[in-house]
Amino acid sequence: MSSIDRRNFLKTLTAAAGASVLSIPKAWSASAIKARVVVIGGGFGGATAARYLRMLDPGIEVTLIERGTRYTSCPLSNEVLSGSRDIKSLQAGYQGLARRGVQVVHNEVTQVDPVGKKVSTAEGNSFSYDALVMAPGVDFDYGAFKGLTAELSETRLPHAWKAGPQTLLLKQQLEDMPDGGRFIIVVPKGPFRCPPGPYERAAQVAMYCQHHGKKKSKILILDSNDSFSKRPLFEEAWKALYGYGQGGMIEWVAAANGGKVEEVNPSAMTCLNGFDEFKGNVINIIPPHRAGKIARDAGLANFKDAWCAVKPENMESTAHKDVYVIGDACVGGDLAGNNAFPKSAHMANSQAKIVAASLVAKINGMPQPTPVYTNTCYSVVAHDWGFSVVHLFRVENGQWVYIKEGSGISPVTFGTKEAPRPVPRIYRKMEVDYADGWLRNILSDGFS
Amino acid sequence: MRRIFLVLALVCLSFAAQARTDVTILARTCNNCHGVGGVSAGASMPSIGGLQRDYLRRVMKQWKYDERSAITMSRIVKGFSDDEIDALADYFAKQPWTPVVQKTSPEAMDKGLATVSKICTDCHGKAGSDPDVDAPNLNGQWARYMELELEKYRSGEFKMPHRKMKKAIHEASPADAAAAARYFGAQSK
Ligand SMILES: Cc1cc2nc3c(=O)[nH]c(=O)nc-3n(C[C@H](O)[C@H](O)[C@H](O)COP(=O)(O)OP(=O)(O)OC[C@H]3O[C@@H](n4cnc5c(N)ncnc54)[C@H](O)[C@@H]3O)c2cc1C
Ligand code: HEC
Ligand code: HEC
Repeated sequence: MSSIDRRNFLKTLTAAAGASVLSIPKAWSASAIKARVVVIGGGFGGATAARYLRMLDPGIEVTLIERGTRYTSCPLSNEVLSGSRDIKSLQAGYQGLARRGVQVVHNEVTQVDPVGKKVSTAEGNSFSYDALVMAPGVDFDYGAFKGLTAELSETRLPHAWKAGPQTLLLKQQLEDMPDGGRFIIVVPKGPFRCPPGPYERAAQVAMYCQHHGKKKSKILILDSNDSFSKRPLFEEAWKALYGYGQGGMIEWVAAANGGKVEEVNPSAMTCLNGFDEFKGNVINIIPPHRAGKIARDAGLANFKDAWCAVKPENMESTAHKDVYVIGDACVGGDLAGNNAFPKSAHMANSQAKIVAASLVAKINGMPQPTPVYTNTCYSVVAHDWGFSVVHLFRVENGQWVYIKEGSGISPVTFGTKEAPRPVPRIYRKMEVDYADGWLRNILSDGFS
Repeated sequence: MRRIFLVLALVCLSFAAQARTDVTILARTCNNCHGVGGVSAGASMPSIGGLQRDYLRRVMKQWKYDERSAITMSRIVKGFSDDEIDALADYFAKQPWTPVVQKTSPEAMDKGLATVSKICTDCHGKAGSDPDVDAPNLNGQWARYMELELEKYRSGEFKMPHRKMKKAIHEASPADAAAAARYFGAQSK
C-alpha cells in the first residue's frame, strides 16, 4: 500500500467506525473559503444540493442562482385542481437557504463556460466555480405538437406541468366546464417528469366533477405511450371511484389505439392524431420534455440530444469535468434493464445529497462515499385513496443496479394467488396522509 | 502468519462493510420523510431520531421479514441488509429525541388524560416519555402519525406483532384512543 492509499484506507476505517466522513479537521475549518460551488436552479434538486453542501461543510461557498423568488412544488399540485389543496401549501421561499449562508441570486443564468469554469446571468454578473451543480429541470418542446406554442400554453391550452399560474388557469377552466363537458389530457411520449402524474391528474379532475355537479363529464386521456406507471393501481381506483373505459368517466387511449396526438387546433378546440379528431371543452396538452435550455446550451445534453448523461458514482457529467447534473435534466439508472431513474422530486432530492457528499469528500481529500439512490412517489386519486411506488438503486462496479427487493408499488391484491381479494381501503386511505407528510418533509429537507 | 491472516481478514471485513454501508449516506435517504436528524416536519410521518435502538432494529426487521405490516416501510427496508438496518438503528438511536409539541384544546387534553391514566400509563409512562423497554417514546411524537398507527393496531388487516399493545387498543374507543394520541403529542418532556 502506498502511503496515500494507506491514509485513505485509514480514513475509510474511521468512517466505518461511525465517525462522520464529513467531519473537517480543525486546521481547515479555520481557513477561508475552501471551494466555490455554483448551483443553477433552486428546485427540489438544486435547493437540496445547496442546503446539504452548507450543512456538511460551512467552509464551502455556495451560490444558488434561481430565476424565481418563490418555488411551487409540482408534487401534489394535482390536488389543487380538485380543490382539496391550496396552492400556497405547495410553496417555499429561499430565506431558509440564505440563513444557512447560501448566497441566493435571483436571476436567469444565460451562459455557462465549462472550460473557463464560470457562469453568467442576464444581469451581466459572472460567477466562477470550482464545481457546478446543474439543476434546471426540464424545458417543454412545444414544436412537437403542430399548432401549439408557449403562449397558447399560458393562455388557452395550459399544460400545468410546472406548478404555478397554469395550475390555477387549468383549475379555472375545469370550474367553467359545463356538466357533460370533455376534459382532454394529452400525454407526451416519455420520459416526462412524474411518470404517474397525468393519471393522477385524471382522477383528481374526475373527483372534482363528481362533487361539483359535473357527473356527466368525461376525462379523456390521449396517450403517446402504450402503458403507464402504477397502471393496475390506477385502473382499480378509476373503476371503483369514477367508472373507467366505455361509459365510465375516465377513458384512456393508448398510442397503439390512436392516442398519439400530433396536432392541436385551438380555435376549434380539437386534437388530431392524423385520422380522428377529438373535441374538448378543456385541452390539457403536455408537451414532450428535454433538459432545461441552459444545460443543453452548456453542451451537457449528450444523451439523445435531450438529456444529460452522468456518472453513477457521483452524478458528474460525462461531457464536462466538475459539472454535476441532477434532477429532471439528467438521465440515469439501470437503462439496460429498462429501469431508468424516474424524473421525480424524491429522485432529485436523493441525487442532490449524493453530489453534496461527493463534493464535500473531494474538497476535503476524503475517500468518495458509496452512493445509494432512492425514490418514492405517492399518487393521490381521491381524498381517501392513494398509493405509491418505491425505488432503490445502488452502484456496483461503476454501474447503476436496480434493487428489486427494495422497490415496488403498493399491493395490488391481498390474499393468496389462488384466492386474491381486494386490498382493504384502509391501506389506500393512509397513503393520502403519508403523501402530505412526505411533501412537508421533502420541502423542509430542501428549503429550510 | 495466522495472526496476520486474521488481522487482514478483519480489515477486509470492515472494508467490505463500509463499501456497502456508509450509514450517513443511508440515513440521509430517510430525511425526506422523517426529517433531518429524524425530526419530522409532517404530521403523518413519525419522528425517529432518538427512539430506542432495540425498538428501531426490531420494527425494521419485522417489516423486512414480513412479520409486521406497513404502508411504505415494508417495501423500503427489504432493500437493506440486516447489517445496514442495525447501523441505521444505531445511527437514529444516537440522535436526541426532540418532541414536536402540538397544541390541542384543554377539553381534548382532559379527555386524553382520562384514557391515558386508565389504560396507557403502565407501559408508556404518564407523558409517554418513560416507556417500557419495548415501547417507543410518544411524548411530542406527531399525534396524526400515532392516530394512524393506532388504527393499524385496531384494524384486523395489519399484522402488528405486539400482542399487549394490540390488546390495549381494544380497551379504548377509537375516539378515546385518538384523544390519547393528541395528549401524548402535546407533551414536551
Ligand atoms: C403534476 C406533477 C406532479 C408531480 N408529482 C410528483 C410526486 O408526487 N412526487 C415526486 O417525487 N415528483 C413529482 N413530480 C415531479 C417533480 O416535480 C420533478 O421531478 C422535480 O420538480 C424535479 O426537480 P428539479 O430540481 O430537477 O427541477 P425543478 O423543480 O423544475 O426546478 C428547476 C428550477 O431551475 C430554475 N431554472 C431553470 N433554468 C434556469 C436558468 N437558466 N436560470 C435560473 N434558474 C433556472 C427553474 O426556475 C426551477 O425553479 C410531479 C410533477 C408534476 C408536473
Ligand atoms: C417515502 C417516505 C419514507 C421514507 C423515505 C422512509 N420512511 Fe420510515 N416511515 C414512513 C412511513 C409512512 C412510516 C409509517 C409506517 C408505514 O410505512 O406504514 C414510517 C415509519 C418508520 C419507523 C417507525 C417509527 C415508529 O415510531 O414506530 C421507522 C423506525 C422508520 N420509518 C425508519 C426509516 C428509516 C431508517 C428510513 C431510511 C432508511 C426511512 N424510514 C425512510 C415513510 C418513510
Ligand atoms: C401493555 C403495554 C401497553 C399498553 C397498556 C399500551 N401500550 Fe402502546 N405500545 C406498547 C408497546 C410495547 C408498543 C410497541 C409495540 C411494537 O413494537 O409493535 C406500543 C406502541 C404504541 C404506539 C405506536 C408508537 C409508534 O411510534 O409507532 C402508540 C401510538 C401507542 N402505543 C399508544 C398507546 C395508547 C394511546 C395506549 C392507551 C390507550 C397504549 N398505547 C397502551 C405497549 C403498550
